[in-house]
Amino acid sequence: MPRVVSAAEIAPTTYPFEIHARGLKVRAGRRMAVDGVDLSLTTGVHGLLGPNGAGKTTLIRALATVLRPAGGELDLLGGASQRDVRRRLGYLPQDFGFYRRFTVREFVEYMAWLKEMPKADIPGAVQRAIDRVDLTDRADARLKTLSGGMVRRAGIAQAIVNDPAILLLDEPTAGLDPAQRMHFRGLLRDMTDICVVVSTHLVEDVAAACTDVVLLNEGRVVFQGATEALAAAGTETDPGDSPIERGYSALLAKGAAR
Amino acid sequence: MTQHASPQLLRRYADSDPTLAADMVWALEVHLESCANCRARLATEASAVAPLVDEIWASIVPDTTPAAVHRTRRLAVWATPAMVPWLAMTALITLIALVADRLVAPPYPSLALLLAPIAPVAGVAAAWARGLDPAHELVAATPRAGLYLVLRRTLAVLVVVIPLMAVATWTSPLRWLLPCLAFTVATLALGGFVGVSRAAVGLVTGWAALVMGPSLVSQRLPSVLEPAALGAWVAVLVAGAVVVRLRATVYTRLAT
Amino acid sequence: MPDEEELVRLVARGDRAAFEQLYRRTAPWLAVRLRRRCADDQVVAEVMQETYLAVWRAAGGFAGATVNGSAVGWLWTIAARRLVDAFRRRARDTVAPLAEEPVSPAAEDEALSDVVGDEVGVALGRLAPELRQVLQAMVVDGLTVRETATLLGVPEGTVKTRARRARLAMREALS
Repeated sequence: MPRVVSAAEIAPTTYPFEIHARGLKVRAGRRMAVDGVDLSLTTGVHGLLGPNGAGKTTLIRALATVLRPAGGELDLLGGASQRDVRRRLGYLPQDFGFYRRFTVREFVEYMAWLKEMPKADIPGAVQRAIDRVDLTDRADARLKTLSGGMVRRAGIAQAIVNDPAILLLDEPTAGLDPAQRMHFRGLLRDMTDICVVVSTHLVEDVAAACTDVVLLNEGRVVFQGATEALAAAGTETDPGDSPIERGYSALLAKGAAR
Repeated sequence: MTQHASPQLLRRYADSDPTLAADMVWALEVHLESCANCRARLATEASAVAPLVDEIWASIVPDTTPAAVHRTRRLAVWATPAMVPWLAMTALITLIALVADRLVAPPYPSLALLLAPIAPVAGVAAAWARGLDPAHELVAATPRAGLYLVLRRTLAVLVVVIPLMAVATWTSPLRWLLPCLAFTVATLALGGFVGVSRAAVGLVTGWAALVMGPSLVSQRLPSVLEPAALGAWVAVLVAGAVVVRLRATVYTRLAT
Repeated sequence: MPDEEELVRLVARGDRAAFEQLYRRTAPWLAVRLRRRCADDQVVAEVMQETYLAVWRAAGGFAGATVNGSAVGWLWTIAARRLVDAFRRRARDTVAPLAEEPVSPAAEDEALSDVVGDEVGVALGRLAPELRQVLQAMVVDGLTVRETATLLGVPEGTVKTRARRARLAMREALS
């Protein structure tokens, strides 16, 4: 059916960065887990690396608008309202909980409803999301019958069901076997036209799929740039089995020394 | 739509004829989406795609295993699965209270009546408590999270609990209704400050210790459930509702 | 003879005969329409396979959700998005297999004037091809800006600019 194209849809994009943070501070409990982060991210797959406790999860939660920043500014999609941002956001938390008795399809449909997708679009979009994560033959199986890796794929499906402009994935490959991780990286490579932030501590995932990397340590950004630049920052003497690991250790050591 | 496409036009369209004007194609495609008749005639003209269509059917057939009949969980938009066991527990306790009232001698105040005001608290807590709702973080990050979802889930709890209580205390129907609503709202309001689980536990133990206990010991109906106290309950209800409305954003964030 | 909407409702209940009938009735139309957007028959076959399998699996949702909706329209929205997905996968390795652009129209074309008014038809015909392509993808195919960008292999900003220019040109031509 021919549809009406609204003027707003084709208006030029007024913002240069999908995610724009200046001096962002976010509290986690008593600690200031994110302590003055400057971030400007546009479309592409961005890796978020850092040791445990660096503030990665807190930062992702702040970007997902589930944590209110304690200071600084955060503009998502050019300062759109929170509701608008959430409609165009996809989020997969690290320990994502789900209703065990739901089937994959029911779970993704429920999340699609929560994301205020137009009712008529939901069944087609749900099927498409399930197909993209390769869970087609288990779409009607209950979540409690699925392995950890499949459950995580269902989580990714709910994150992409509304075709988001910003996709936030916190440790999405935890519990996936190598074949599943490769498939996941393939999925990421298809998403270069949206702003994806993948928080992980698996350096190989970053190397394979990300266009650039943000290295976080103790709540601050230690490095932001292309993956190659991260690899180039390390020398033979730094600990690590690959150029990226060596670059990672080198930059962390340098940051700590300051 | 009176005019249909001529066979020649359909043939040219089916053959991907590059000389077909773009506005013709536009008009034709829009028309075809709504006219089954022309689609059928297109099928007869589209001999070029017939082998492709047959091939694709052959490849689809093996995958059409009998589809599982899936009942869409529309119920989930009202109440989460996490709420179900708590509502069941509430129903069970109500039943026990009802039985106890029948067995125990008259001077004791009705147990069901004493329980009625706090009956919805468990269900409301289960709807929001971070520990009880496994999908808490996912739900909190969605646009629908917020006052609207809060009210839907609370309504679901009340729809279950109020009829139960009405049956259990059918001798004195209205004494407990306002207190019941007041407690519901108070749980949400207090929950916005200290967390729903703590608020629920606090309210229930407070009621049990300060009202239920003394009432059972002195074998008299508590004064707070007398009709004279209704005004106070209304005040609590209104105050609580205002607080919930003002602090609605707490339901759109991760509970700490 | 049941219409397509009725067939989809039957498919939702697992009726394979209805599914085959739905296929026979709609596949030729879908194949022709897809081939006009994609020069690679293999991609068309893939997309159609995925589309009809998705229909088999998700028919229950359609039957429940849209009462007045057209089944064929729904079928197209699934197919169009699968086409975009296929292009996205291919764009990684090769150039997207777009169909050829129509050359200048032959003189003896009849008008289908009831659907597109004469003036609009003429205005559309005069639009530069790249502008009309964008408009067609968004209006006729129902794609979003991002999907149109993937289908045509141009950046999102370009899609928006062309859509605005097309709109402007149409408005000028019709005033």
